[in-house]
Amino acid sequence: MKNWILFGLTAVIVFLLAMLAYSIMERKTEARFAYQPKVQIEGIEPRDSVWGLNYPRQYQSYMKTQDTTFSSMYNTSGFKDVLADQPELVILWAGYAFSKDYNQPRGHAYAITDLQNSIRIGSPKEPGDGVMPSTCWTCKSPDVPRLMSEMGVTEYYSTKLSSLGSEVINPIGCADCHNPQTMNLTITRPALIEAFEAMGKDINQASHQEMRSLVCAQCHVEYYFDKTKPGKENAQYLTLPWKGGLSVEAMETYYDNIDFADWVHPISKARMIKAQHPDYEVFEMGVHAKRGVSCADCHMPYKNEGGQKFTDHHIGSPLSNVENSCFVCHREKQADLMTDVYDRQRKIKEGTSSLQKQLAMAHIEAGKAWELGATEEQMTEILTGIRHAQWRWDFVVASHGGAFHAPLESSRIVTSAMGTIQESRIHLARLLASLGHYKPVEMPDFNDKGALQAYIGLDMDKERADKAKFLDQVVPQWLKEGKAREAKKEVKVISSN
Amino acid sequence: MGKRQQIKRKLFQYSLIPPRKWRPYAIVLVAAIFGLGLYLIRLSNAASYLSDDPQACVNCHIMTPQYITWTHSSHREVAHCNDCHVPHNNIANKYFFKAKDGLYHASIFTLRAEPQVIKALGPSIEVIQNNCIRCHEDQVTDAKLIGLVENHYPHRTDRICWECHREVPHGKIRSLAAVGHQIEPIQAHAPPDLEIIPKWLKESMQKSKQ
Repeated sequence: MKNWILFGLTAVIVFLLAMLAYSIMERKTEARFAYQPKVQIEGIEPRDSVWGLNYPRQYQSYMKTQDTTFSSMYNTSGFKDVLADQPELVILWAGYAFSKDYNQPRGHAYAITDLQNSIRIGSPKEPGDGVMPSTCWTCKSPDVPRLMSEMGVTEYYSTKLSSLGSEVINPIGCADCHNPQTMNLTITRPALIEAFEAMGKDINQASHQEMRSLVCAQCHVEYYFDKTKPGKENAQYLTLPWKGGLSVEAMETYYDNIDFADWVHPISKARMIKAQHPDYEVFEMGVHAKRGVSCADCHMPYKNEGGQKFTDHHIGSPLSNVENSCFVCHREKQADLMTDVYDRQRKIKEGTSSLQKQLAMAHIEAGKAWELGATEEQMTEILTGIRHAQWRWDFVVASHGGAFHAPLESSRIVTSAMGTIQESRIHLARLLASLGHYKPVEMPDFNDKGALQAYIGLDMDKERADKAKFLDQVVPQWLKEGKAREAKKEVKVISSN
Repeated sequence: MGKRQQIKRKLFQYSLIPPRKWRPYAIVLVAAIFGLGLYLIRLSNAASYLSDDPQACVNCHIMTPQYITWTHSSHREVAHCNDCHVPHNNIANKYFFKAKDGLYHASIFTLRAEPQVIKALGPSIEVIQNNCIRCHEDQVTDAKLIGLVENHYPHRTDRICWECHREVPHGKIRSLAAVGHQIEPIQAHAPPDLEIIPKWLKESMQKSKQ
């Protein structure tokens, strides 16, 4: 009898254990239906719409970078022709593509469209046409890390922009900053890693908070294309000039030491450097950086939707979202905070506006000096002055938000540039006098973009006509080929939820 | 008489040891129970409960809202589940409390008796409160404040921290229905081998250096 009881009890225990096992399996399945991602993100997935299936809130807020309605005092998320606004820039950038076309940047979602639309990149008809290297695509798309991993980094830098037209079709997106397995922040552009190495730092030591700025610093930095890298002479190797530090002087010395010039100015014959957008560098000089604030803290503040907190991926001016960005730390009136920003911007702009007119005049005066027979020797110091002053001016104006990010540093740089250019113009006046020219040099009308473009010898009608043709014939073909290629890549669905 | 002998005697006394001819069957049955038990341990990922990994807490999916709200909080970078939810006065107490709480959770979950909104119970509240103080001691026991602020001592001892700091760290809205379904697999507590540079880029950079 006792044995039977024992048998019965054991059977019951096994039965219950099996039920428990079944219950665990059932609830695990439940979790799979309720909490699994919809699709598997494989390799470097450049299509945001695929990531968006798994992360709908982040994706949808990111799509709002298409919104072009916001305008602050000077800038906008929409279209604004900077050259029409400040025509003297045409003279500053004569001989360089920026004199043809320069607009205020729109949101990340337009990265590809706006590059294609820009007259600066020319209008290549066939793959391999045109002067622009493939390196120009580097910051525009998550297709770039995909191409770099497929082709090799050096090979990617070694071809033409037009050769990769059908490969790079997705604007800046998820895969540029996120690891698809862990969603952690990641650095996908070699230039930043190499710049850290050049400074003797290890980017792997970056904290999470630093990463919230460094992912932006993959692109929002000053850079140049190195065409003399040993063993990589065919490449236009994207390089950040950070070896000596992030200050304007350190980079200026770096460029002087390697005798680098982006172009030679056709009027003044000065060897010029174009500052790109040293946003990260200038930000690092400011008080917010000192307090440990990251880019994302203000440009991508937290947001609540239906009680769910997430990072707002609508990247843009914090001024369009003061409540979520500034108010986290500054409990003041919105109007006061906005005024603080605008004051800084206006005061810096006062300096840069007068500086850029001086620069334009210096170029033309130097041109006159050459015309009257000045020698190389007489001009050397003057041209170095123009080179340095314009580089410093550009460093301030090209840095998005620099006037607010680091107003003191910006104004220091403007002051130093102002001193340099005035010194150069005094030298020029003396030189011109010694060549027999005692009057002020005749200047073109600095208020007319079209006239200035004609003055420096640009045929803008032809450029525009070529562009229209390019946008009508070449770009649709690029997109068609790109879409067809992407359609072949299957998306693996793992949950139908 | 050894302890072993004593147990054996007891077993025989109550006829719990089956007769010789039954023994093979009994052994098979006991082994079946043992095997099933092992399978359960594996199925329920039980070993993970010995760790401090927050992912272990979402083995059971109804903790998802708590997990998601925490991964979006400032505490994500400095404290994980166990830092707040189990006592840290001594290691035995830590695992005792963890086992007690864990078995209670598992039972309720198995019985499908979980509430829509999970709330901390008495013993848990005490543990959490002590853990708040464990890290934030300097903020709550500032000698200057005791001197300057009237009733500072009673104010900081007669209530729990989250009576005022209601959003720390799980936010105000955290029911099963209110929080997103997607667990973002962010490795919050950066493991030592966390890689910022993707593998393909690392390999390519190494190759170009050679």
